Amino acid sequence: MQESSYFSQYSPIKGVWDEMYGENDIRDHYSKVIDYLSRESAEDLSRKEELAKRLFMSQGITFTVYSSGEGIEKIFPFDIIPRIITADEWAFVEKGIKQRLNALNLFLKDVYNNQFIVKDGIVPIDIIYSCPHFLREMYQLQVPYDIYVHIAGIDLIRDHDGTFYVLEDNLRTPSGVSYMLENREITKRLFPDLMPQCSVRSVTEYPTILYKNLLSLSPRQISNPTIVLLSPGIYNSAYFEHTTLARLMGVELVEGRDLVVKNQKVYMKTTIGLQQVDVIYRRVDDEYLDPLVFNPASILGVAGIMGAYRTGNVAIVNAIGNGVADDKAVYAYVPEMIKYYLNEEPILKNVPTYQLSNQDEREHVFENINKMVVKKTNGSGGYGMLMGHASSDEEIEDYKKEILKDPRNFIAQPTISLSAAPCYMQGGLHPRRIDLRPYALCGPDGIEIVPGGLTRVALKEGSLVVNSSQGGGSKDTWVLA
Amino acid sequence: MPEFKIQHLTKYTYPAPVRDSANQIILYPIQDEWQEVIKQEIHISGDPVIDTFIDYYGNKVGSFTYSEPHSALLINSKILVQTKHKQLPGNDIFPAQQWEDLKQLRYMVPYIDFLRLEHFEGFNDLKALVEAEKSKDDTPYQAVLRFSRYVYDNFQYIKGVTSVETTMDEIWKLKAGVCQDFAHILTLMLRLVGIPARYVSGYICTHRSTTMRGEGATHAWAEAYIPDYGWLGIDPTNNCIANEMHVRLAVGRNFLDCSPVKGVYKGASEHRLDVSVAVGYEDDAPSMHQPGEFIDMPEHKPVTTFPKNSYQRYMEMLLQQQQQQQQQ
Amino acid sequence: MLSRVAASLYWLSRYVERSDGILRMLKINYASSQDTVQEFTWEPVIRIFAGHDEETQKLGNDSRAVMRYMVCGKNNPNSILNIITLARENARGVQEHITKDLWQCLNEYYHTVKDNRIDNALKKDDPVSVLDVLIKQVMLYYGTVEITMERGEGRSYMNIGKYLERGIQSVDILDTKFGSIDDNPDLLTDTTYWKHLLLSLGGYELYLKTYREGFEAENVLEQVVLNNDFPRSVIYSVNHIQRYFERLKNDSNIDDYRELSFYIGRLQSHIKYSSVKTIKEEGLHLFLTQIRSQLYGIGDALNNHYFANS
Repeated sequence: MQESSYFSQYSPIKGVWDEMYGENDIRDHYSKVIDYLSRESAEDLSRKEELAKRLFMSQGITFTVYSSGEGIEKIFPFDIIPRIITADEWAFVEKGIKQRLNALNLFLKDVYNNQFIVKDGIVPIDIIYSCPHFLREMYQLQVPYDIYVHIAGIDLIRDHDGTFYVLEDNLRTPSGVSYMLENREITKRLFPDLMPQCSVRSVTEYPTILYKNLLSLSPRQISNPTIVLLSPGIYNSAYFEHTTLARLMGVELVEGRDLVVKNQKVYMKTTIGLQQVDVIYRRVDDEYLDPLVFNPASILGVAGIMGAYRTGNVAIVNAIGNGVADDKAVYAYVPEMIKYYLNEEPILKNVPTYQLSNQDEREHVFENINKMVVKKTNGSGGYGMLMGHASSDEEIEDYKKEILKDPRNFIAQPTISLSAAPCYMQGGLHPRRIDLRPYALCGPDGIEIVPGGLTRVALKEGSLVVNSSQGGGSKDTWVLA
Repeated sequence: MPEFKIQHLTKYTYPAPVRDSANQIILYPIQDEWQEVIKQEIHISGDPVIDTFIDYYGNKVGSFTYSEPHSALLINSKILVQTKHKQLPGNDIFPAQQWEDLKQLRYMVPYIDFLRLEHFEGFNDLKALVEAEKSKDDTPYQAVLRFSRYVYDNFQYIKGVTSVETTMDEIWKLKAGVCQDFAHILTLMLRLVGIPARYVSGYICTHRSTTMRGEGATHAWAEAYIPDYGWLGIDPTNNCIANEMHVRLAVGRNFLDCSPVKGVYKGASEHRLDVSVAVGYEDDAPSMHQPGEFIDMPEHKPVTTFPKNSYQRYMEMLLQQQQQQQQQ
Repeated sequence: MLSRVAASLYWLSRYVERSDGILRMLKINYASSQDTVQEFTWEPVIRIFAGHDEETQKLGNDSRAVMRYMVCGKNNPNSILNIITLARENARGVQEHITKDLWQCLNEYYHTVKDNRIDNALKKDDPVSVLDVLIKQVMLYYGTVEITMERGEGRSYMNIGKYLERGIQSVDILDTKFGSIDDNPDLLTDTTYWKHLLLSLGGYELYLKTYREGFEAENVLEQVVLNNDFPRSVIYSVNHIQRYFERLKNDSNIDDYRELSFYIGRLQSHIKYSSVKTIKEEGLHLFLTQIRSQLYGIGDALNNHYFANS
């Protein structure tokens, strides 16, 4: 029988939490999917894999890589086997993220206003003031409903015993949500009827909730405020996502050059003249948003937009200056923030983090560097990090030199053995390491998280890095009802 | 109590009309115990609405936009300001105690910003130099005076030798600069020994009989924080205490926080900037002093939002193609 | 509609139309180069579509080299490869404003022209087959626009771009062809010469049906400038610019509308009330120069008033 072939050949990685396989058998929540798969031959599955690729390509779900002046269209690798999360696991994650986001929002409000948490010595002041994303321009600037983080993509991982940990808080312009939506659409095509059988919760509400929240932020109390999505333009690797979200929400997709500020109001240039803009969902980084105030060389932004924001004539999503809250050195203090602002115990754990600006911690890290991951505090996308266990002595020495130049810019964490999930490759199922990025939306009515997210997967055998820039792919993420 | 009438003119001229400009001005003298603004008028060509706010460092900042195509932008600020002499610090506290007091400020707002050091190539040289220069029994006040003299003696004042884009590394190699470079070097030296130091922009208003560096344009100097005294103005370009002859416009970590006029526009990047500052005195005729000759000073420049990006290249290409067709 | 979006649709359309003109021109001239006793020259084609520079000098009169330069030349800003790349980039920036079919169609055109096989085939195979493959892409594009694009503002900008480009091309071709007569009066009676002009504009068959007395320069001029039913005549293009511009009328920018409407109307009358006789009196070259500059004027006015590039 081919029935058990996928499964019998599957060998979980020792000492690693396997999402599908536990205690010598398939976990309950994976059993229906495995049943379904076992009725398909390897050829069937390979055909599905081909279909998925073709669908991504033909629908233009691609990003362009530019090399030697020519653009090459690429798809973000997709693994057809869904990652499944039980209702209980999800309830826990959802509660944990909401708690964390509440605290982070309060932190941002505090740090840009009274700075109580600093005065009380909970978060060291020099960590805040040395953070390049702590923007003094945001000091005492009032934002609608005191919401700074409207959209968060908090990265979660699971240790060898299945415990969830927060790896990063992405509170600036988290990306990838279009893959959550598109992966689901593709899965519907690949596995007809399977999802209803398994009671998978839907993720399609995401654009609706986001639109509702954006609408509620409009400074003008008019029936039809103008909401735009500000994209850096077609050369941005997430451009596809920008067009998808604009289309799904029915808002205008604009670039910096489409907008102009006049007397502290933002307008877009249309064929029939200027039209005032009320809410901007921007996918342009703080630094590039206003060449008058931030990077003067920026051509992606809108000169004077900060003035319009300050006077409250336009709402900007996410707020400017959020980088101080997702800085990796500040990350270490999030559990303390939760206790400080909410008087609660943190639900989701933090990965232990060493501040390399602290000499004792730095020495400890240097001595144990083989067990550490060292990261830049304001880095992202898996760039510029050192995986101690997988680096040569020379790489480590070079990296140490970098650290000593400006230790504030680095933190270290013990290497966490990410959980693994089955992937379909070479005609069979093989465990590969994964993480999870749910997307939380925060509006005046509270925080809503669509049941699902982006599961990123390290497709290379043995790799612990899931970032797309480092050979990562993604999976559809099912949350069961 | 000296009273000064200051006229500060800033004029940008563009070879071809530009549009969609957004600008920021920090031209409002600080109001405090030692400085009172009796009257100020700011007139800007095109009469835009100026919106003002107080920034993080307490400076009053104005912002305005000018969307219509224009070939020149003129900002005319007329100020009537009265200053008071600030008593100089005494030397009656033990130096050790004062240095100890300064240490307490390291993790306090706002001093933390005025103690932070940016790394540059000459950093270690400067550090060694500062250690050597500082005498053991100096009070912070004495250290301030000593460092100011050092900068004055060892850096050459050459108008136009640097611009706002000149890096600290370049200035350090040149050993020369303009007032803002002198001020930057001094703030660095002071921060290195733990004295909070900030950058100040403003005007120098001397008596007619004397001439000082920095007249005829906006000036810059530093302020050092002295325990039990407060902020002490120190002008390394002229090696003197900045007191009632220095009219303060803004304070910050460095020039970028205090830039008197800056703007961004759409159009060709070439432009000419003329700045003039004229000062009249209380016993002058009641009419405003006529401004002196404009001097061309590359103090800072607006940045066009039209450098060579793909869109620009694309637009250029379109133009090129059309021109090609038109040549036939 | 965002000004940038309108501008992108307009340029996207101009580029595709230009590619069509270039391809047809190449096809006819290649045929001509195989079919003439006299010295054939690529010079007018190069002059119209690429301009003179060191690079084009090197091409000489080598048909394959010229065609490769005009189709795949990376350094030729007006090569099919480069203008279709630009067309596609314009389309990419306005994806939510065009249909998926249209995007996929342009994408395919782009991938076809980018394929190395095109260049290789131009080197050694039958060039006409290669050009036909590309011309088919353009026809697919026009069909897709016609069938799928919503009849709104966006399509108006696309059509204005298309007809403006077409009008300019027809003027340029006429000016070049008639200009050569000044240097070589023998051409005036050379049937092949006029036949090729008409073929490159796709007006040969219509000419045969309209004029029974053989090839006359005056008749050719009449058809290419003044024939309302010839889709590549100058008047046809101007009529269509006017037709699609009228649809953009909107209360909120009535002044801009009037100004452009005036330019277009003036140009239309200028042509409409001309005859071969008046044109000859005025001087053909002068007449064409004026028409061309008025067409450019319309483009500039659109740029200033509708595309926010004043």
